[in-house]
Amino acid sequence: MSVNKLERLLNLTAVLLDTRRLLTAEELRQKVEGYPPPGPAFHRAFERDKDDLRVLGIPLTVEKVPTTDPPIDGYRIDPDQYYLPDPGLEPDELAALHLASLTVRLEGLEDREALWKLGGVDPASHLDVGPANPSPAAPESSGVVASLPTDPALTPLFEAITRRRTVLFTHKGQERRLDPWRLDFQRGRWYVSGFDHLRQDERNFRLDRIDGTVTVTDEASDSRPSQPRTQPLQAWEIGSEAPTKAKLWIDSTRVESAARHLGPTVSRVGNDDGSAVFEIEVVNFQAFRTFVLGFLDRAEVLEPPQWRSAIVDWLAAIADGTFAGPDDVSSGVTTDG
Amino acid sequence: MRRVLAIVPWIVANPGRHTSEVAARFGLNEAELLNDLSVVFMVGLPPYSPDALVDVQIDDDGRVSINLADFFSRPLRLTPAQGLALVAASDALLSVPGMDSDGALAKAIGKLSDALGVDDVNPVDVHLGNAEAEHLNLLRSAVADGYDIEIDYYSFGRDVKTRRRISPWRVFADSGSWYVHAWCTLAEGERIFRLDRIEALEVLDSSATTVVEVGDGPPSTFNPQDQTPVITLELDAEAAWVAETYPCESVTSLDEGATQVTLAVTAMPWLERLLVRLGPHGRVVSEGSFDGAEDLSARTAARILSRYEAS
Repeated sequence: MSVNKLERLLNLTAVLLDTRRLLTAEELRQKVEGYPPPGPAFHRAFERDKDDLRVLGIPLTVEKVPTTDPPIDGYRIDPDQYYLPDPGLEPDELAALHLASLTVRLEGLEDREALWKLGGVDPASHLDVGPANPSPAAPESSGVVASLPTDPALTPLFEAITRRRTVLFTHKGQERRLDPWRLDFQRGRWYVSGFDHLRQDERNFRLDRIDGTVTVTDEASDSRPSQPRTQPLQAWEIGSEAPTKAKLWIDSTRVESAARHLGPTVSRVGNDDGSAVFEIEVVNFQAFRTFVLGFLDRAEVLEPPQWRSAIVDWLAAIADGTFAGPDDVSSGVTTDG
Repeated sequence: MRRVLAIVPWIVANPGRHTSEVAARFGLNEAELLNDLSVVFMVGLPPYSPDALVDVQIDDDGRVSINLADFFSRPLRLTPAQGLALVAASDALLSVPGMDSDGALAKAIGKLSDALGVDDVNPVDVHLGNAEAEHLNLLRSAVADGYDIEIDYYSFGRDVKTRRRISPWRVFADSGSWYVHAWCTLAEGERIFRLDRIEALEVLDSSATTVVEVGDGPPSTFNPQDQTPVITLELDAEAAWVAETYPCESVTSLDEGATQVTLAVTAMPWLERLLVRLGPHGRVVSEGSFDGAEDLSARTAARILSRYEAS
């Protein structure tokens, strides 16, 4: 951007922020230095400037100027929409945010400008935030520790969460209307959870299963989650079946890794031989079956009986080669995961 | 323009700081900062008389202050994409095992969420993967100090436990798991280990002998070798996830959403798991260079079944 253009945009922004009434294009031409005389050249320059302001994220209000006939567009910037409320960050908190942006990369999303807006980073501030703290002794270990994939649906969903708006999207061919509450990143994928108007209940959706774009509506979303979640979701917790408690036996060689995977909230009863039985709540049997089969012959579903026999039937059909076709094995449940 | 709109409010709020400090804070050199400020000199409100122009003062010691810039006294709001990037990165870092969940970062996320208009729930929750804080700490310090470590490792693909000595270079999270990239003395080669499969870990009191250049960003976690056997499977629409989940050498679309995929098979238990999970949704069409795959799913299913029949 040339210096003249930069100056003009800054002056335009200053005038639009300062005004209490709507200003017409002609008034802006007279007030802001650096515009060409009235005519097509001014029109083109003004249109480009408006686009530039929008790209910068500057909230430009366009309304018809009252008492004009025929109506003429008037412009202003609402200071309440423009100014960032001061988050009141302490220097160590700002430094922690800076460290986060250095160590975790969101592919395709830039957060450097966000840090500028929050006041840049005090070069003298000392960081000590725990194990992820970059070590000066090994600069190669202080680089990116994680790189998160992104999804085109992420930004509109985040906007809807912060503005409390209902969104519309198509998921597996079905129109969904959702009041989004939160975004979760687990096992390498993004999920959105919220109140699903179709099912009239809380649901989770995988972002990469959303077809096309997410539309942020002007409808206010006033639903709230019933209880905040503390543990990350497991695959078998994403679904719409009636919650069922399953008992899963794991042999001694895999008990520890199963316990790590299941997390501390899952109840576990140990046996003398080192094996253990875990009690797991499931709303997606297919996902649970996949988890169980990953242990091959080192795990066994004990309860409920209908799931134990479903696994036995599944395995018997593979062993005998007697699957009749997909209808034979469908669990009869659709999942939203 | 983005930078100017952020720097001016900061100087307005923090008058009298040295230009070198301001420049460092915004990642600039002093010449770049002075260049930005020289533009601001010419900005103001009509009629652009001296008393209506932004007043930038830099004293003889290089201390800078800005007056008459009420309209730029606060920075511009974060865009949704910027808010998302910062909150998600911060939450990801906070999820690293061993991080202080009440520390500066946690407080910063809370304040940032407030400023973005979210007050009652944490809008983004990032879970990078399971790892024990103690293992993660030991590994990071071993990387920093250049120490070798000895690990008891469960190899999921081959379904065996081994003890091996490794020289770790880099610890990173990718696709929902933590990994350490290391030189493995057992395999005599570069290997990537998943932290949640390290069952025990001991830092050895000797420095690593192998020094390797480490690139930027996580390496690919799956590198099939040329000699790795391949297998060809036919999958129905229900099993499309296979092609999304595993690196395939080739994917061919068939009728009704079915696909034919060719996969590298690094270890037998990996293929056994895949086949019993797929059930009727996938079948081996060509065992390629892989011996004994034809009836592998039937044999594996029968082996698991014998567990159920015994009890």
